[in-house]
Amino acid sequence: MKVFIDPPNSMILFDLVERLGHEPLSSMAVIQEKVDNIEVDMPPMNVTLDDVVKGLKYAGVEVPSGIRGRLSLWGPMIEAADAAVVINDAPFSFGCVGCDRSNEMTKYLIKRRGIPVLYVNYPSDAAGAKTMVGQIKDFLGGLKA
Amino acid sequence: MSTARETRLLMISPDSKVTPDQLVRNVHTMVTGLLVKETCYGCLVEGTPETVAALMKLVRERYRNEVFSKRRGYPQGDPRRCRAQHGTRPGFAQLEAEWAELPLIQGALDAFDRGENDYDRPAEKRPLPVSELKNICEAYR
Repeated sequence: MKVFIDPPNSMILFDLVERLGHEPLSSMAVIQEKVDNIEVDMPPMNVTLDDVVKGLKYAGVEVPSGIRGRLSLWGPMIEAADAAVVINDAPFSFGCVGCDRSNEMTKYLIKRRGIPVLYVNYPSDAAGAKTMVGQIKDFLGGLKA
Repeated sequence: MSTARETRLLMISPDSKVTPDQLVRNVHTMVTGLLVKETCYGCLVEGTPETVAALMKLVRERYRNEVFSKRRGYPQGDPRRCRAQHGTRPGFAQLEAEWAELPLIQGALDAFDRGENDYDRPAEKRPLPVSELKNICEAYR
C-alpha cells in the first residue's frame, strides 16, 4: 500500500515504511520528477506556473505562494496515499519542509482524506524509540489485513 | 513518475562498526550496474529501480538494522547539490538530525528482532461519557 510520510523527507519513516513492506510516498520522488523532466533551475526551490496553479487546489489564492508551492508537491501524494504516518512536532522543520503553515495544511489534508493515520513522536530515549517503531509496525501490519 | 533512474542514500547508524569504506566495497560486490559514491555518512548508489531494489534486499540482509536508506531526488554529483562545486544542501539539516536518532531506532529494531514486545500502545480514542464530563465540570466549578 502507498503510505504518505510526514515530514515528507524523513529518512527514518521512509526506511521503516519500506522495511515493513509498503511503498513510502516521499518528497524525494516528486522532486526527482522535476529534476529529470522539467527545465527549472533548482527544484523544489523553483517552481513552474503550473505548480502554483496546482497548489490552488489545496490552498486559497490569499495563501502565501510558498505554501501553495509546497502543497502542489505534497497534495497529489496525499491524494494517492492509502495511509499516512505523521511525526508530531518534528523539531527540525526547516529546509524544504520548514514551513509550519504548510505542515498544518498537510495534516489537515490528511485528515480530510479520511485515510488511516498514525501519529508518532520522535524518540528521545530507548523506550520512546521502541514505542515509535512498535506503533509503526502494528499500524503498517494492520494495513495488510 | 520518473523511472529511468533511482538514486539512494545509504546511511550507517552511528552505533554500527561498519565504515563507509567497508559499505562501499560490499555494495560494489552485491549487484552489478550500479554507480556508487562514498560519503562521510555511508554512500550514494544510483541505478535502475530494479537494480536498486535488488541491492536494498541484500543490504538489509547483510546490515539488518545498521544501514538505513532513503531516495534522493537529485542524481549523484549534480552541480546544484554537490559540495565540491558549492552546491546547497537544503535537506541536510533533516538528515543530520535524523542521523543522531538512528542508534535509538537501531536499538528498537534489534529489540523487536529479539522478540521483545513491550511498548506503549496508542491510547484508544473514545467519546467522553456524559457522566465523566459532568464529573470534570463539577471538579472545576
